[in-house]
Amino acid sequence: MSHTSHSRGRGAGVRLRLLAALTLPLLAAFARDALAVPSFARQTGQDCVACHVGGFGPQLTPYGVKFKLGGFTDSDGKDNKIPLSAMAVGGLTHTAKAQEEAPTDRTGTNNNLVLDQASIFLAGRASEYIGAFMQGTYTGADNKFAMDNADARAVRTLELDGTDLTFGLSLHNTPGMQDPFNTLPVWRFPYVGSSVAPGPAAAPIFDGGLEQHVTGLSAYTFADEHFYAELGSYRSLSPAALDSLGLGRDSYPGKLGSSTSYWRVAFFDDLKKSAFSLGAFGFNAALDPSGDGSSNSDHYRDLGLDAHYQFLGTREHIGTLNASYIREHQGLDASAAAGNADSANGRLNELNLNASYTYDQTWGLTLGRFMIQGSRDAALYADSANGSPDSAGWVLQTDWTPWGKEGSWGSPWANLRVGLQYTAYDRFDGARHNYDGAGHDASDNNTIYAFIWTSF
Amino acid sequence: MNRLFRRGRAPLIAATLLLGGGLAHATGDVQRGADVFATECAECHSVKAGHDKKGPSLFAVLGRKAASNPDFAYSDAMRQSGLTWTEDRLTAYIGAPRKTVPGGKMKYDGLSDAAQLTDLLAFLAAQH
Ligand code: HEC
Repeated sequence: MSHTSHSRGRGAGVRLRLLAALTLPLLAAFARDALAVPSFARQTGQDCVACHVGGFGPQLTPYGVKFKLGGFTDSDGKDNKIPLSAMAVGGLTHTAKAQEEAPTDRTGTNNNLVLDQASIFLAGRASEYIGAFMQGTYTGADNKFAMDNADARAVRTLELDGTDLTFGLSLHNTPGMQDPFNTLPVWRFPYVGSSVAPGPAAAPIFDGGLEQHVTGLSAYTFADEHFYAELGSYRSLSPAALDSLGLGRDSYPGKLGSSTSYWRVAFFDDLKKSAFSLGAFGFNAALDPSGDGSSNSDHYRDLGLDAHYQFLGTREHIGTLNASYIREHQGLDASAAAGNADSANGRLNELNLNASYTYDQTWGLTLGRFMIQGSRDAALYADSANGSPDSAGWVLQTDWTPWGKEGSWGSPWANLRVGLQYTAYDRFDGARHNYDGAGHDASDNNTIYAFIWTSF
Repeated sequence: MNRLFRRGRAPLIAATLLLGGGLAHATGDVQRGADVFATECAECHSVKAGHDKKGPSLFAVLGRKAASNPDFAYSDAMRQSGLTWTEDRLTAYIGAPRKTVPGGKMKYDGLSDAAQLTDLLAFLAAQH
C-alpha cells in the first residue's frame, strides 16, 4: 500500500524516484499478502480455523499466536511431513480514474486483471526446536521472482510449576514480521492488496521501509502464555545480495548503522471465549544512503502502541478489533545534505484501526481506517503539491472462505478465499483535491479489488 | 485438589457424581455442552470417529481406557496413567489436566465452571 519517505529521500534523480515510486508500493503490498499455509495444517493435524480467524491466513487466533511463538514446531507426532506449500492470489483492480501511467509495462492504466502473486513456502518444523516460514514470490505484474518474507526460529519451552516459559530466537528479513499479533504493519489488515493500485507515498520506516532488505536477529520470551518481550537488531543486505535474491541492486536502501534496534513488549490473554493483547514497540535505525560511510545518515525513531481484542465464543460469530499507532521522529541529515529533504527534522504518525465480523468461519466483513499524518517537506514529499505526507482513507472488505474447517473439502490440502475490497481515500499525498498540482483528487485513487486467493 | 472443589462447588459435583452415570447426563444439557465444547475443546479435538487433531478424537470417549487410540501419539504420562474415562475421571481431568495426568501434553488450563462441566459431560456422553 505504501512506500517510505526515506526511499524518496535517497533518490538521486527523477528516474530512480520514479522507479522507486512504482516498485516500492508493489513490494509493500506483497508483504501484506503472505500468510500461513496448509503445510502447517498437515504438520499439526489442525484445521486452518484453529490458527486463523475465518479459516484463512494471516489473522491469528490465540492458538495461532502460540503456534508461531512456539517456532512453528508443534506437530501431531507423526513424521515425514513435507514442509512445502504454495499459494496464488490474483484479481481485477479498478480505480475510480485511470492511472496516469501504467503501473508496469505488462499492465494498462486501469481494469488490470493480474496474477498479483504466486508463492512457494518452506514452512514447517526441522526438529523439535527449530522451525521456519520462508517464502519466495513471483509477481505477475512485473514478471519477477524474488525472496519474500523469511523467518527461521529456534525455540525452547520449559515448564516450571505448571507455567510455560518459552525462549526463542528468530532470524528474519523484515522488521516486525516475527510479531504474533495482527496489529504491526507486516501482518495487519488489509491482509491482501492489489499489486497494481496506487498507494500513498509516505509511511514510517517500520511500515515496509526495509522489508526483505535486511537480516534481523531477535531474542524473545513468552512467559505464562501472557507476557511477551523481544529485543532485536538488524543489518542491511549489500546491493549484491539484494541482486542475487531477485530484489535488484537499485532497491538498496543504504547501510544500517550497527545500533539499529527493535524492542517489543506485550501482554496477552487467551480467555477461550475471547482474547486480547496490549503492547508497545520501538524501532531505531540509522541509514547511510552511500553505503560506505562517505555521507551522513538518516535517523529514524519509531515508537508504537498496539492492541487487539477478539470475541471468539463458539466460533460461529467472531468479532475482532485491531489498533496500532506509530510515531516516527526523523533526523534526515543525509537527505537534507543531498537536497532530498528541505529540513533534517521531521515527524510522521500512522494510525490504523479495523473491526471485523466473521460468520460460521466462512463469511467475513472488515472495515478499516488508516491515517498518515506528518510534517511538510517539499523536497521529501515531492509528489505532493503542498509537500505534505498526509493520507487517510477507509478499506471495506467482504470475503468468502468455503473451506479450511473440520471436514472441509480438500482439508488439509487446499484452501480458498474469494473477496471484494474497496479502498476510499479522503486524503492522498497531502490533500483531498488536486494533491499533485496536476488536477488529481484523492478519490481518483479509490480502488475496487476483486480477488481469488488460494493455497495448497 | 481440583479447582471445582476450591471454588466451593463440591456439593454440586459430589451430587452429580453420586447420582451416577445415567442420571448425570440428565442433569447436563447436550446443546449447551456442544457450545462449551466448541469454545473450549474443538480447536484440539473432534468428536468424529478417527479424526485426530492436536488431541485424539473424543468419539465414544466415555468408558474407554485412556490412551487407547492406536493412531494417536500420546504422552508417556497418559499411556502410563492407567485411567479409564469414567465420568468422575473425566471431570477431574477436564477440570485440572496437569494435576490429574502430571507430565501429560494437553495444554489446557482446566474448566472451572461446574455447570459448564456438567453440560460438557452430557455432550461427550452423547457421542457414540
Ligand atoms: C490445546 C489443545 C487441547 C485442548 C484445548 C483440549 N485438549 Fe484434550 N487433549 C489434548 C492432547 C494433546 C491430548 C493428549 C494428552 C496426552 O497424551 O498426554 C488430549 C487428551 C484428552 C483426553 C484423553 C483422550 C484419550 O484418548 O485418552 C480427553 C478425554 C480430553 N483430552 C478431553 C478434552 C476436553 C473435554 C477438552 C475441552 C474442555 C480438551 N480436551 C481440550 C489437547 C487438547
